[in-house]
Amino acid sequence: MSDLFLADPIVVDPEPRPHGRLSPGAWARANLFDSRVNSVITVIAGLIAGFLTWAAIAWLISIDFTIIRDTLRIFMIGQFPDDELWRLWAAGMVLMTAIGLAAGATARNAHDVAISQGLAPDPSGPLLLARRFWAILAVLILFASFARTIQPMVGVLAAIALVFLVRQLAWAAPAAIRTRAMYVTALLVVASMLVVAGTSRLGGLCIGLVVFVWALNETGRRDFSGSSGKVLRWLITVSAAVLAGVIVAMIGFEGFGWKEWGGIHVNLFTAVVGIALGMPLGILLALGRQSKLPVVRTASVLYIEFVRGVPLISLLLFSKLLLPLFLPITMERPTSLTLAIIVIMGFSAAYIAEIVRGGLQAVAKGQTEAAQALGLSPGAMQRLIILPQALRAVIPAMVGQFIALFKDTTLLTTVAVLEFLDAAAIANNQPQFLGKGLAPVTYLFVAVGFWAFAFTMSKESRRLERRLGVGTR
Amino acid sequence: MIIALLWIVAIGLGLTLVYVAGRLCYDTWSAVKQRRYDKSVGQLAPPWRDTKVLAIVAQLAFAVVVGLAFWYLWGNFRDRTDAIGLDLSFDFLDQPAGITIADNPLTAADTVGEAITAGFLNTIRIIIVGIPLAVLLGTLVGIARLSNNWLLRKLATGYVEFFRNIPPLVVIVFIWSGVYLTAFPRSSESWRPLNWFVFNNAKFAFPSIEGLDGFVTFRWIVLAAVIAALAVGYWRTQVFVKTGAAHHRVLWGLGTLLTIGTVAYFALDGPVKFSRPTLDEAGRIYEGGIRMQMPYAAMVTALVLYTATHISEIVRGSIQAVDKGQVEASEALALSGFQRYRFVILPQAMRIAFPPLINQFLNFSKNSSLALLIGFGEITSIINNLAGQSQPAPQLIFILMLLYLVISLVLSLLGNLINRKLQIVGR
Repeated sequence: MSDLFLADPIVVDPEPRPHGRLSPGAWARANLFDSRVNSVITVIAGLIAGFLTWAAIAWLISIDFTIIRDTLRIFMIGQFPDDELWRLWAAGMVLMTAIGLAAGATARNAHDVAISQGLAPDPSGPLLLARRFWAILAVLILFASFARTIQPMVGVLAAIALVFLVRQLAWAAPAAIRTRAMYVTALLVVASMLVVAGTSRLGGLCIGLVVFVWALNETGRRDFSGSSGKVLRWLITVSAAVLAGVIVAMIGFEGFGWKEWGGIHVNLFTAVVGIALGMPLGILLALGRQSKLPVVRTASVLYIEFVRGVPLISLLLFSKLLLPLFLPITMERPTSLTLAIIVIMGFSAAYIAEIVRGGLQAVAKGQTEAAQALGLSPGAMQRLIILPQALRAVIPAMVGQFIALFKDTTLLTTVAVLEFLDAAAIANNQPQFLGKGLAPVTYLFVAVGFWAFAFTMSKESRRLERRLGVGTR
Repeated sequence: MIIALLWIVAIGLGLTLVYVAGRLCYDTWSAVKQRRYDKSVGQLAPPWRDTKVLAIVAQLAFAVVVGLAFWYLWGNFRDRTDAIGLDLSFDFLDQPAGITIADNPLTAADTVGEAITAGFLNTIRIIIVGIPLAVLLGTLVGIARLSNNWLLRKLATGYVEFFRNIPPLVVIVFIWSGVYLTAFPRSSESWRPLNWFVFNNAKFAFPSIEGLDGFVTFRWIVLAAVIAALAVGYWRTQVFVKTGAAHHRVLWGLGTLLTIGTVAYFALDGPVKFSRPTLDEAGRIYEGGIRMQMPYAAMVTALVLYTATHISEIVRGSIQAVDKGQVEASEALALSGFQRYRFVILPQAMRIAFPPLINQFLNFSKNSSLALLIGFGEITSIINNLAGQSQPAPQLIFILMLLYLVISLVLSLLGNLINRKLQIVGR
């Protein structure tokens, strides 16, 4: 719940002190005991650090992780039935492929751009990747190690291997494939969700949309000049999208309802869907807030300030108690997750709008004037000149918003969605563990799970920030 | 109070609508005038090429679409509420609430309005205590992260990186059930350091001041003494500015306060005494002292720990943003490390840090709603309880959002006022 674009000034790590070549004694004198005050601070900090480490180790040794072993299933997947479990594995593997593909393609593109500009490319390799993502890797392996059967361990290891493999493949792929990797990634993400949720009209629509954007871009590459060419271009893209949608709808296979979803995959799913659906609305709101038309501007400002002024929990209470009342009387009450996702979409849209507004204001005024001098229409100016620059500048802030939203998904527990934190409460209420004071163990497990994802993502976003050079221009 | 708020919001929204409609009418009128003029000089553009006309049409279309959407939703809403026979008036505020709040004299017979007010006051209690603590801790940690002491730096970094990346709700639940409920003893085995404090896993109690005869007079005298101390401090500052003599304003101010206080204390023959919490056989606190509920303590601790990490990042960034020449100049003046921070770096860093800090204050106040999960009776959990007592949900949610909007508005107004004071006036 934070406005990251404003909240976090660019932080530069303090200059590393030269301690590589010092002997341990000299290093300690230089860094710990170089003055009387520092010696006192060192002793006090050492006592605190020593006490905390000792207490943590003593506690970790004393506790028994049986409760995690017995209830790991609830933490990971909630009450997903056994027969349908293949869906989650398949979805996970497809998602891993998508991540690997996107990572490999973008890394290689950045590498090529750096080389063409005569700059030193960022070093990359499997070992370096493992160092960058150590937290997530460690937690995934930790989670798998709590499993009672061999299958989840093999699955997790296979997923990790798959990411690395696909990444290397995408890295080595020819440029023509790499430039289209983003569309394939989007298709794979949609597909991985459809494996669980089943294909329906919605699935056809999603795939159709992705194909539409892809085909529009592809036909745009060729020169369809003249008004008849324009008609042809739109005809091709629309028919390709409809065809893809129809094919998906025809293949259509039964999915699995949201009611039984649970565990950490609900948190990840909600965060991804909330950001993805909130993005278009957020960009529109940001443009509306910058608009010169008083009606549009007032409406945008009212919406954004209202949503940012109230806590997410009150919006979730709204989704539980009030949102169903606004649906047509003939309609059945949707599941709580659906209602919550609708509200989260509107919530993240308001925050994204503020982030995008920051980006819009960061675009130099000369860009607008140049676009006007070229005679571009207002729409074309936004689409071709301003938005690309603004959105590029706010990518790190957007990642920050994603992390914040990921952390906020814990609030779903207040509207009776079985997410990661709620799973801990359920585990503590199992009859065999009730009243044994095991709550700290389960909450520690939850905390470590969230920490690994959020920590890695925030580190990556800072890396991205440095690479994009935001704030240093 | 709540009804008055509702009226203010209604009037505000009405004024906004009137303003927007007025702007639209004015734009239409000026467009018509312009087109008449264009026609008279024979340069009339077709309406679909006139940006003014297009803007008006676009806004009208937007307003119609939004209005239709609201009208449709409102129709659905009325259908549903009529079907279940929901009363949409605010009369329920005077009905008995039927809920009780821990550590609050509220009874089940008290009205809904009183329950909501009690919850609102609890929210304010979290915010007022928590924000200064978070700023204090965050500033200290932010400075510690820039220390040249390796151990202190790493300790601060570890703390920030750990707490920043855990959801606040998990921090709260972990602090509550993991630390407070398990690390403190049951009430029959309370810790009683010095016999002045009581710590157990139900509540904390601290010694407090209890008024005797003449306490009311004494309170007024103390208030006057505080004002006198401030005046003396201001006078010393003026002397310092004029003559350059050492001001010692803190010493002078405290001296004034203590002198007046002591004289008044003896003149009124001891109007106050310390009261310490006393326990009965079962370990319950039955009199004396000031008590703190466990959920409240957990809530404040967790939110302070979480928010302080964000504040420390802001403070660190602002300290690094202070011009390097300033630090070098203060070193050249041979200021000590403390003096350097107190007189040169922090005043300038605070100027940079304050606008993002306002954002963190708002986040803190919004995060106070998370107390719902550990059962502290602040406004969100009160509203949730009331909705569970079959009080009408639409009005309750509306009031809840309204109160949070008021808190956000007041906090950002205060923040902006202070910010204006902090910024350099010039240029």
